[in-house]
Amino acid sequence: MFERSNMQKSLLIIDKISTFVGKTFSWLIVSLTLLITYEIFSRYALDEPHPWAFDVTLMMYGALFMMAGAYTLSRNGHVRGDVLYGFFPPRAQAALDLTLYFVFFLPGVVALCWAGYIYAGDSWRILEHSSITAEGPPIYPFKTVIPVAGGFLLIQGIVEMIRCVICLKEGKWPSREEDVEEVDVEKLKELLHVKDEDIAKLDEIITAREKDHK
Amino acid sequence: MKKGVWFGLAMMALVVIGLFVAMPSPEHMTNGHLGLLMLGLIVVAIMLGFPTAFTLMGLGTMFTWFAYHSADPSTAVQHTLELMVQRAYWVMNNDVLISVPLFVFMGYLVERANLIERLFKSLHLASSFIPGSLAVATVVTCAIFACASGIIGAVVTLMGLLAFPAMLKAGYGIRLAAGAVTAGGTLGILIPPSVLLILYGAVAGVSVMQLYAGAFFPGIMLASLYIGAIIIYAKLKPSAAPPLSEEDKRVELPKFMEVLSRDGSNAVVGLTGSIVGKRNADVPRSIVLRHLGISLLPALAAVLLMGSIYLGVTAPKEAVPEGVVAMGIAAEDEATQAENGGLQEPEEASGLKEPPGTVAEEAPAETVKEAAPAAGASPDKTPATRRPAAMWYWIVLGLCLASVAVFYAYFSFTRLEVFKMMLGSFFPLALLILGVLGSIIAGLATPTEAAAMGSFGGLVLAVLYGQFNMRMLKEAVFLTARTSAMVCWLFVGSGIFAAGFALLGGQEIVNTWVTSLDLSPLQFTLLAQVIIFLLGWPLEWTEIIIIFMPIFLPLLTHFQIDPLFFGLLVALNLQTAFLSPPVAMAAFYLKGVAPAHVTLNQIFLGMMPFMVLQVLAIFLLYMFPQIGLWLPSLVYGG
Repeated sequence: MFERSNMQKSLLIIDKISTFVGKTFSWLIVSLTLLITYEIFSRYALDEPHPWAFDVTLMMYGALFMMAGAYTLSRNGHVRGDVLYGFFPPRAQAALDLTLYFVFFLPGVVALCWAGYIYAGDSWRILEHSSITAEGPPIYPFKTVIPVAGGFLLIQGIVEMIRCVICLKEGKWPSREEDVEEVDVEKLKELLHVKDEDIAKLDEIITAREKDHK
Repeated sequence: MKKGVWFGLAMMALVVIGLFVAMPSPEHMTNGHLGLLMLGLIVVAIMLGFPTAFTLMGLGTMFTWFAYHSADPSTAVQHTLELMVQRAYWVMNNDVLISVPLFVFMGYLVERANLIERLFKSLHLASSFIPGSLAVATVVTCAIFACASGIIGAVVTLMGLLAFPAMLKAGYGIRLAAGAVTAGGTLGILIPPSVLLILYGAVAGVSVMQLYAGAFFPGIMLASLYIGAIIIYAKLKPSAAPPLSEEDKRVELPKFMEVLSRDGSNAVVGLTGSIVGKRNADVPRSIVLRHLGISLLPALAAVLLMGSIYLGVTAPKEAVPEGVVAMGIAAEDEATQAENGGLQEPEEASGLKEPPGTVAEEAPAETVKEAAPAAGASPDKTPATRRPAAMWYWIVLGLCLASVAVFYAYFSFTRLEVFKMMLGSFFPLALLILGVLGSIIAGLATPTEAAAMGSFGGLVLAVLYGQFNMRMLKEAVFLTARTSAMVCWLFVGSGIFAAGFALLGGQEIVNTWVTSLDLSPLQFTLLAQVIIFLLGWPLEWTEIIIIFMPIFLPLLTHFQIDPLFFGLLVALNLQTAFLSPPVAMAAFYLKGVAPAHVTLNQIFLGMMPFMVLQVLAIFLLYMFPQIGLWLPSLVYGG
């Protein structure tokens, strides 16, 4: 039991690291919005376009989604084909996931890390600059994002595999950290000041009306 | 729940059996057949429910390596890695996909700015005189909100909490109410700026601007079909959509208005009277003036709009293209909105209200533009350059004047209050959407720039409506990161997968097989759409567009089908998949917030008529491609 809670803790620590990295890079969306808006203003109103802006916005976008990959995995946020999966009991889900992590995830992500390492290394060696615009900004740090993001993804993937093992042993999925949901019904209810009683009252109206019809 | 398992297993078994039938015996197997095997495997693997991005990445890596290995074993690993990283970098450095996080961010911001409640209220008050007004207002609210936010789940849930109870309380039938909410909520897939069209553009190499221009009218057509059907249904069967009670229709008037309205109901007359006649000394003059100003906004907007169109139309030949095109769209917008289900007065006002800012800025600029060449040219040339306005201009002008006249004839104090509410909810959103879309379609901004400005506008809206705080921003930011990571990693995976598929020659086999079937373009289109519709059951639209669309695309050239047109059909089609049982996501979102006695079956039944309308819309678009292609061809001349 003691061993398991330690295990849980270390899982959560890695989750936290992925989350921290992902959330930090998430903020790039704000700077991306502001930079492009400012660039439009600067180009049309001040008549002062910046040639580097195009490259920089692409880098912000690329780094944003690559580095959020592990964070998304830690929240089970990568889209799954949900034809059968949802109907399986947790143990079957875990067994399936664990197998497929070995068969698909590990080869794919390891290869991506390795390939990214070579790719970024080549770029560092010549201190490559972007060729989209003349005198483009350096892009070797950007290319380094590939192996780094792959590395985080790999670590998070291993955590997920351990989760599968725990689930296989215990028959239920270990808990995850809480986070914002895309459709958080409770929060939306709060936003519109709808209470559960209101819905219950509505229910009475409907049932009453249906009785009338009969 | 057992049924679902059997359904899934049966589909999987079908694919596996199909593979066995299609595969030759091992000794005759070529790399191309391996490619087909890969395609079958991916369908089965996706159904197993592993995160699709990594399924694709893993399978793609293995098959790519295999393809290189069969050519030259010594360099296989190196080539595979190079190909992988190039694919990943292509996604990272993609100037189309960059607008995905920006539009998603805009969506979350608008969703959290909490405009929907006011929007729905003002719309249903404004439309209270038409039959089925609550359901009509629901569809319009959904269309506008879905357009700005594009997050289906959130829109359906919000409307399920807001409009669904309102309709049930007013005595609407459950089916009609459920159908309006679910059908309206899914409009966001089609109506631009939708993320689906960006993804399609990135996959098919079609310009996102053209796709947006193309999807504009089909989206409006679909919404109008919904509204028309609701109105007809409400007329035929008033018991399912009773008119609002007087109490619900009543609008609270501020005190001074009640005083003024005693002398007559027309707001403009009343307000003017109070200034000129000094009959109401107790009402502060500044308030009266402000309200008079507000009531004159539509007229002002009409004058500005028609004036700038006139200047554009009659401008000297050289200066024509940009002005006319941009203004032409504005006019079209307005015309369609006025037609849009009989919402004459308010909608009309919307088309007109929007321009003051933009037109007011543009109009002087244009005058200057014209004046410059005129002044620079020799004096005798000046009068000759101004062309007479075309016939359609006078017709539009007449219509415009007539609608303004009608608008003011019925402009009571009640309507002034409703108009003020719309100013606070409908117009800011409409301005945001038309600003984003208009600048893209008119070619003033790239989709990326428009998306960034849209996000910025979303931030501003949130601040203006007092919903902006750190928690809200954080949530929007983190959700954006997760959604973008989901979509873009799927692109990374599918890029690697598609490379392997092409290397093995799987694409060639598919191509030769389909061409050997000797289909006509119509048959091919039908076949493709049916396959896409069927794929829409087990898969999400992101997966369909990103993984399967690349397989269809090379065939389009063979059948001489315009990829732009095909994309519009696909978008309509996938929207239908959102409403088709048993996996209609919209139904489940609504069920989540509906009263316990509303069954899933009732919701499904309510969606059915709307599904029929969608199929009708696909049919109409196919029969009259101009619905989709007219605007792109007008704007881009292509």
